[in-house]
Amino acid sequence: MIGEQEFLHRVQVDRSTLTVWIEEAWLAPVERDGERVFEEIDLARARLIVDLRQNMGVNDPGVGVILHLLDQLHGLRSAMGELLGTIHAKPAEREP
Amino acid sequence: MKDPYETLGVSKTATAEEIKKAYLRLAKKLHPDLNPGDKRAEEKFKEVASANDFLSDPERRRRYDAGEIDAAGVEKPAHRFYKDYAGASGNSYENEAAYADFADTDSFFADLLRRRTQQGRAVRGTDQLYRLEIDFLEAINGAKREIFLPQGGRLDVSIPAGIEEGQTLRLRGKGAPSPGEGEAGDALIEISIRPHPFFTRDGSDIRLDLPVTVVEAALGAEVKAATPSGFVLLKIPKGSNTGTVLRLKGKGVLRGEKRGDEFVRLQVMLPTQPEPELESFLASWRPANPYDPRRAMEQKS
Repeated sequence: MIGEQEFLHRVQVDRSTLTVWIEEAWLAPVERDGERVFEEIDLARARLIVDLRQNMGVNDPGVGVILHLLDQLHGLRSAMGELLGTIHAKPAEREP
Repeated sequence: MKDPYETLGVSKTATAEEIKKAYLRLAKKLHPDLNPGDKRAEEKFKEVASANDFLSDPERRRRYDAGEIDAAGVEKPAHRFYKDYAGASGNSYENEAAYADFADTDSFFADLLRRRTQQGRAVRGTDQLYRLEIDFLEAINGAKREIFLPQGGRLDVSIPAGIEEGQTLRLRGKGAPSPGEGEAGDALIEISIRPHPFFTRDGSDIRLDLPVTVVEAALGAEVKAATPSGFVLLKIPKGSNTGTVLRLKGKGVLRGEKRGDEFVRLQVMLPTQPEPELESFLASWRPANPYDPRRAMEQKS
């Protein structure tokens, strides 16, 4: 669990930028006792957003499009992983 | 590391602007988060990123061009990408939209979709960051230290010899536990090094200013000199001067298999108490070869 102050410090963004990212649903931290708390995945995702905007010249609408496609890609990847797992698990299940 | 120019596909005469452009063009194509299943892209991305890091430092680039250093260098601590988390189960961002239509017509996919939405979050625990200040000699010789954690308990940290300022040690599984059933995070320990009163460090070499008496410098002597591993006897050649640098081979910092050297710079010190005999000798002294130590300076200006 990472608090908001630490999160801002580790990503190197200010609070208002973070608020915009959350409003855009690029990040979805959990709220606990009225405070935003973050996980490692949020931190890594925020660093990807920084990479896209600062180092790769992607503008804000572009970031939204990329994240949306990436989320679908990861959904597909894990569905495919599960599918493969099911296929390989089948013969073993048949054994008595 | 390969030739950084070749890695980026630029010529040796490329401007900083051209290097940056070449890097960005490759980074966009190879970024690991945009190629989550492609290990080769990730390897190439790391090469490209370190080539860019290397060439963005004008001083390092100049020294590389002059053949003074090779491209081996700054190994960065392993960086975790978004895909490393996104691939784990329980990623709350991923969505099923890309194959939800299959579920309408295929009972197998319908099952899969149902199971996935029920799945609990098996999120990995958070990495926890600590700072540890160590002594100069501990950084050079290595050490074992304990960190007492704010929430109780302690961590044993073994500091490898030759560690550098700002380097981070990763203790796997010693961070926060997972909120669900995932694995614990890592403890990250950022090292800072207290300066030493006498030694300074220059990569894998140690530098030391060593005061010597006029007699030791003029006539030669054997004196005790400090090294990170204790005192050694150092031979001062006859006729040494302030600024004379002597090398103690293998007394520097161990890095991998190689050990650096210690460079001792002599400082000739006059006596601190009045020495009437020396004064009267100097007053009557007529050097056989008169010398002007400031001549080079005057000719240049």
